[in-house]
Amino acid sequence: MAATGEAPSESRHYIVQRVREALAHDGRTNELDLTVSVNGDKVFITGTVPTTERRDAIGVVAREVLPDHEVHNHVTLYETAEPTDGEDLS
Amino acid sequence: MIRLAAVADIHFGADSSGMLRAQFEDLTHHADMLLVAGDLTKCGHAHLEDAGVTVLEGETTTVDVDGARVGVAGTKGFGGGFAGASGTDFGEPEMKAFVRHTMALAEGLEHGLRSLEGCDVRVALLHYSPVRDTLAGERAEIFPFLGSYLLAEAIDHAGADLALHGHAHAGVEKGVTPGGVLVRNVAQPVIKHAYNVYTFEPSRSLAADAHA
Ligand SMILES: [Mn+2]
Repeated sequence: MAATGEAPSESRHYIVQRVREALAHDGRTNELDLTVSVNGDKVFITGTVPTTERRDAIGVVAREVLPDHEVHNHVTLYETAEPTDGEDLS
Repeated sequence: MIRLAAVADIHFGADSSGMLRAQFEDLTHHADMLLVAGDLTKCGHAHLEDAGVTVLEGETTTVDVDGARVGVAGTKGFGGGFAGASGTDFGEPEMKAFVRHTMALAEGLEHGLRSLEGCDVRVALLHYSPVRDTLAGERAEIFPFLGSYLLAEAIDHAGADLALHGHAHAGVEKGVTPGGVLVRNVAQPVIKHAYNVYTFEPSRSLAADAHA
């Protein structure tokens, strides 16, 4: 029997890509290096960004794309410690 | 001593204004120059030159540090993959265009590094990675989007003391080209500092050359 192309619910593969595309293109985020995983109705996002504003925007954008999912925004902030003495390469 | 500060992938936007001001105001205590290996902002580099930044896309610059000459050859670089698993300049035009873009930039880099022969320290400043080493932690499927062996080949042919890159946020800091040139991935999420500092003792390396 031929497949109809209509899955009962969108495959998690496509959901992952839909969120990643939105996070890359949306001006509030423009983040290309986040990891998105979907488990049932839960979505987990990990990665690091420079600011709390951007981290929070990631959750907002993901929830807009997937209002029916429970979005867990586990994105962390860049650590920007003072530099150490340096590595001697000579 | 020559002290090079380096960082990449800060991805600053309007939301990051002033965030690293303290660390960068302090820069001259730690380093003689700052090298940024791409992705300084998330929205292009339109205003960089107005702000006194030298943009090196296929270009070189030399900086005098206490009488020692530091030469920097820069290019964004591009993807294509690594030896044994890379794109080829053959077949469909879009694939050729992809690989040829990397080839052209690698060629420019080799030319730039050669023009810096005679400098005490020569640095290749890239965004894309020249080696796989520093991609450890990234998914292998995306390696061809993270760098190309053509960049390492250019560096090895022309010679350099250090190759800096970013782009691989989930990678690791340290690697080496097949020809033995040190590679450092200074993507901010990798180094976890405002910048890393790499030092060279030019007199010591010149003395070593004289002995060899
Ligand atoms: Mn980046």
